[in-house]
Amino acid sequence: MQGDGRADIGATAPALKVSHLVKRYGTFTAVDDLSFDVAPGEFFGFLGPNGAGKTTTINAIVGLATFRSGNISVFGADVVREYRRARSYIGLSPQDFNFDRYLTAEEILTYQAGYYGITPARAKPRVEELLDQFELSDKRRLTYLQLSGGFKRRLALARALVHSPRMLILDEPTAGLDVELRLELWDFLRTINAAGMTVVLTSHYLEEVELLCSRIGIINYGRLVALEDKRALIARHGQGSLQDVFLELVGRRPLA
Amino acid sequence: MTNWVGFGTIVRREFKRTMMTINQVVWPPIITTLLFLFIFGVGLGSSVRLMNGVPYIVFLLPGLVMLNVIASSYDEAASSLFQQRFQLSIQELLIAPLSDLELLLGYLTGSILRGIVIGGLIMFIGLLVVHVAPQNGLILFGFMFATSLLFSSLGMIGALLARTFDNLAIVTTFFITPLTYVGGVFSSLHALPPLVQRVSLFNPILYMIDGLRYGYIGRSDISPAIDAAVVATLAAVAFTISLLMVRKGVNLRV
Repeated sequence: MQGDGRADIGATAPALKVSHLVKRYGTFTAVDDLSFDVAPGEFFGFLGPNGAGKTTTINAIVGLATFRSGNISVFGADVVREYRRARSYIGLSPQDFNFDRYLTAEEILTYQAGYYGITPARAKPRVEELLDQFELSDKRRLTYLQLSGGFKRRLALARALVHSPRMLILDEPTAGLDVELRLELWDFLRTINAAGMTVVLTSHYLEEVELLCSRIGIINYGRLVALEDKRALIARHGQGSLQDVFLELVGRRPLA
Repeated sequence: MTNWVGFGTIVRREFKRTMMTINQVVWPPIITTLLFLFIFGVGLGSSVRLMNGVPYIVFLLPGLVMLNVIASSYDEAASSLFQQRFQLSIQELLIAPLSDLELLLGYLTGSILRGIVIGGLIMFIGLLVVHVAPQNGLILFGFMFATSLLFSSLGMIGALLARTFDNLAIVTTFFITPLTYVGGVFSSLHALPPLVQRVSLFNPILYMIDGLRYGYIGRSDISPAIDAAVVATLAAVAFTISLLMVRKGVNLRV
């Protein structure tokens, strides 16, 4: 079930392919005919204002949301028809902490590996590696409620990586982190991306996206309003930064 | 390819949860049952000569076992799944390469194990008190298993439909507890007035207790075949509904 089998047919397919995705909640259309690809090894920024449809799209990719129209595939595996393969390729670090409160940090990683079909004995070296990598070794016996915000975020990332996925989806990974930890996390993400991991990042910190991502997709009211190389996007709009481009494309929304 | 490790991990997680709440979910039913046996069996039961041809305390034991199998099975499935829904930790399972059936069977197995282990413990302790061995262990186990499957499935349905913890209590308070207590735990169907007997036949829990009692003392108020048919049918229906709800992602997938 681990997602690191590189020799299969998914090796030449896009890491992520979203085609004509439509997601409705009653009469409200959250995602409207959304299409985009992410190449293997790419660091992709997926942006949009609150309520634009980012999390809905991510939920559809990872299996937390159903959809009736459109297709999504991960390294060639359709997320509905070949959900086992598709899900084993994805590691998700969600925006909200969703840990099991009965488990310790170490157990959270071991059990998560188990859900992906990895026995505790096989998961042990990987769990130890991640506990060490994220400086959680001395906190292994603590439950998530006993961890500080920074360590909860580290644990979320470690959990997303425990089954060795090929694509990491990060939904607001640095929310609530102090500057030092944020810089550490950026370094880590750059390192794993350089090693071949595809990364899809959503963040409200646009400087973070501008710094890390090579290509950007911007969604507004469920529709894609921009999709191109970061530098080309900024240059084409004649703006100085991604934030200026973002505000030009999605506009400023009134508070009320 | 079946994700057996994933399925086993859910069962392991459910077992761990039970062990972490042992003072809430394991000891109370055992202590309550011993008190029931002492007060109704040894105390008040001494004024009842025989019930269905056996001493009252012997008649009482299978009903008390079933009462706890029902309560434990429902409670485990309902509270565990609802807690995970409430805390969003269910998402850990929903994004994993687990089929809907594996996910459902994982929870059901955890709940059935709890129901049968608690029922088995009560039966064992009861046997030490009443000194009467079961007539047919296989029938006894079969009724415990089918009843546990039924109420574990109902627990899953309840957990998927509930919006608050208070919603979960509706089923227990207004349906399971009253139907169990009037379902033949404390008296034989034949000891009731004719009208109450006829009404009681619409109580499904009567068939579960009657079937279990047949396995224990070899006598029943209703045909054991009818008991088995009712329990198996209800268990199959409840399991199918819970599977359809998980497949549809009711309150699981948005």
